[in-house]
Amino acid sequence: MLRIVAIFLVLTCTGCTSMGVQPWEREILAKEEMQLTVDPLEAATDDHIYFSKEASSGGRGFGGGGCGCN
Amino acid sequence: MKAFTRKHERSVSATLAAATCALLGTTAVTPVDAQEEPEWDFNTSLLYYGEDEGRVQDASFKSIIRRLYTDDRTLSLGFTVDALTGATPSGAIRQDGPQSFTRPSGSSSYTEPAGELPLDDTFRDTRVAITAGWQQPAGEKGLLSVGASVSKEYDYLHTGVNASYAHDFNNRNTTVSAGFAFANDSIEPVGGAPIPFTNMLDVDDTSNRVGDQDKDVLDLVFGVSQVVSKNLLIQANYSLSQSDGYLNNPYKVLSLVDGVTGDTLPRTPGPNGGPSGQYLFESRPDERTQHSLYTQAKYYMNGKVLDASYRYMTDDWEIDSHTLDVRYRIPIGDASYLEPHIRYYTQSEAEFYRLSLDGSSPLPQYASSDYRLGNFDGITAGLKYGWKTRNDNDMSLRVEWYQQSGTVPVVQLIGNQAARDNYPDLNALIVQFSYRFSR
Amino acid sequence: MPQARPGRQVQLAATEHGWAGRFEAMGSPCEVLTDGGNKREVHAVVSSVAEEAWRIEDKFSRYLDGNIIHRINTANGQAVEVDAETAGLIDFAVTLFDLSGGRFDITSGVLRGAWTFDGSDNIPDQASIDALMQRIGWQHATWHESHLTLLPGMEVDLGGIGKEYAVDRCARVAQEGAGFASMVNFGGDLAVTGPPGNRRAWKIGIEGPTPEAAERLVDLRQGALATSGDARRYLERDGVRYSHILDPTTGWPVPDAPSSITVAADTCTQAGMLSTLAMLHGRDAEPFLADQGVLYWCRP
Repeated sequence: MLRIVAIFLVLTCTGCTSMGVQPWEREILAKEEMQLTVDPLEAATDDHIYFSKEASSGGRGFGGGGCGCN
Repeated sequence: MKAFTRKHERSVSATLAAATCALLGTTAVTPVDAQEEPEWDFNTSLLYYGEDEGRVQDASFKSIIRRLYTDDRTLSLGFTVDALTGATPSGAIRQDGPQSFTRPSGSSSYTEPAGELPLDDTFRDTRVAITAGWQQPAGEKGLLSVGASVSKEYDYLHTGVNASYAHDFNNRNTTVSAGFAFANDSIEPVGGAPIPFTNMLDVDDTSNRVGDQDKDVLDLVFGVSQVVSKNLLIQANYSLSQSDGYLNNPYKVLSLVDGVTGDTLPRTPGPNGGPSGQYLFESRPDERTQHSLYTQAKYYMNGKVLDASYRYMTDDWEIDSHTLDVRYRIPIGDASYLEPHIRYYTQSEAEFYRLSLDGSSPLPQYASSDYRLGNFDGITAGLKYGWKTRNDNDMSLRVEWYQQSGTVPVVQLIGNQAARDNYPDLNALIVQFSYRFSR
Repeated sequence: MPQARPGRQVQLAATEHGWAGRFEAMGSPCEVLTDGGNKREVHAVVSSVAEEAWRIEDKFSRYLDGNIIHRINTANGQAVEVDAETAGLIDFAVTLFDLSGGRFDITSGVLRGAWTFDGSDNIPDQASIDALMQRIGWQHATWHESHLTLLPGMEVDLGGIGKEYAVDRCARVAQEGAGFASMVNFGGDLAVTGPPGNRRAWKIGIEGPTPEAAERLVDLRQGALATSGDARRYLERDGVRYSHILDPTTGWPVPDAPSSITVAADTCTQAGMLSTLAMLHGRDAEPFLADQGVLYWCRP
């Protein structure tokens, strides 16, 4: 499992050095709706709901802590 | 001192704009894009979560307040209050006749009508959670974050710390990040933690209870995000989560059943009340290692934004899960948007998941009938509507429907169980209203 | 070529995000901040910007003999033919004269002879103001087909437009052919050629509402900022504060004007003119700016 993960991350990184945009092409990426987490409150709410009702948690990151609901 | 924009009559501005174009010899000018950096950011929401059939209902108030300092330093404080009511499946299976159970507190009992899914309704609680975080740049390309969290319910205390570091490469086109979170949680079950695999006892009999328990959870996350084009951003994360300590749910039981009929082995309750059958408290391993791979893409198409993510999780309890989450944001005018959302989740059961325990066979090493460790699919479908108020603040309302439907592995069904609806399927309504403003 | 003078040098220094080219022009410290770029390319761009700034300064300065402003101001009632660039600026000044109801007037510069805003209580006497008022009034000038005729004793001063105009012209110079974004800042009147690459926006600090209040930060990705007014230039007598914005229709400072106004707009010229027009509205400065739908900061 760890081997697959390592290969995955290396492939992602080496493919990255040539990709991207010039500084003056970032107008769309700067928009609020293009951020990876647009609404942190909604994301935290969903993370908590699904943590309480399913066996998987997080993935995006972490923060906020546990509860006695699982 | 005020700084805000309004769309009113612009006769002076328009004349001035035209005169400036004539002066500078240009035909068109790119419009100005300026924003005062706010000092404060308030993000607040009210949430209602309600399952049907008398199960869990939650009303929650959540707020994150951020103080923004110069040089991109941010202090954030979060506060959440949850008021929970309703009942949750106790883990015992349906029977053709009525059943009675002792409440987790041990001080009274409750009955479940014939044919009904046994639900434990002592699940009334208020939970308070507080988080604090600090973020600051580290050098020209780095960002450092540290934080702490605390939450308290009547039977549970969580304390945790976290830290992460992100670094930009390639003209900010690539960002690599690493982080960890460590939590120590202590569980003080009402009535005391029951010894695993012992029977549920009569009212006022707490001889199989021991004291408080605790567990540690360590999370590690490594991630990469990459700008692919002007319109496309992708992210990939690998997480590792290691839990050690008391991982049982102290309130959940399994029905001990007859090896032929599959019906719960009967028991005579005591004079003050007690269980009408043999129910054993669940037993889970005291260790769990989870791996997750998460990828996300954000794609901008002519004003609309598609947000799609996929997560794969696997752990040493033999649970595998896949999550696919898609949101599509559609702007309406320039002050509001509509965002449909669909999420598909599927998981396979834990190695020790059992619908019930066969009284005629030796007990397995671990067992739990918690539906959250079973084999099920979950679908969420929702719609969110967001708008900007006249003061340039953000409001949104989302309504979602979450449905879980599961199956028990056929090999686990014994006798009469095969004819019953065993899996406690879930239907929940989620309504959340949010208000966000900066000053 | 602009006049070479002692003090007319360009200095280049590396910054956290790129380069800073600095020089003196129009009585202000001028800088060109770049987002990246290699040293040779940046030096060439900054030199071109400085040359354009000095060209404009020399052409329209009221201190230099022989330039177009000097010829207009010493024509003693004769018509003077002006070139296309000067005509453009005069046409622009006419538009502002009309938009402001006569309170933006390029012939009002002579009032500086009576008023010195040094924080003292030296209010000039009405007689000296009246004497200067005889020499003011665009309505007395004749402007027709590139020929400008002033009454004897009148002078034009393009100082109220010149710096912002220079910023916009220099921003165009900085943008053409450069592989990097830059910000042209002439003593607080500034414009950017585009968003910087390595950060979300250019960050500009502006003074808070009071001297003790903290600085606010503005994220500028496109456009310009200009500031009118100066919190340090005023007169005060008998508890009444006189700001340094003079109303050419009265010869006195505009009453109850804010001490300074900063405006964000598409170009530095627009930002500067909006902040000036707002100042001339005195106590109605904020409602005026709110009506125009621009981002602004008013310091009372």
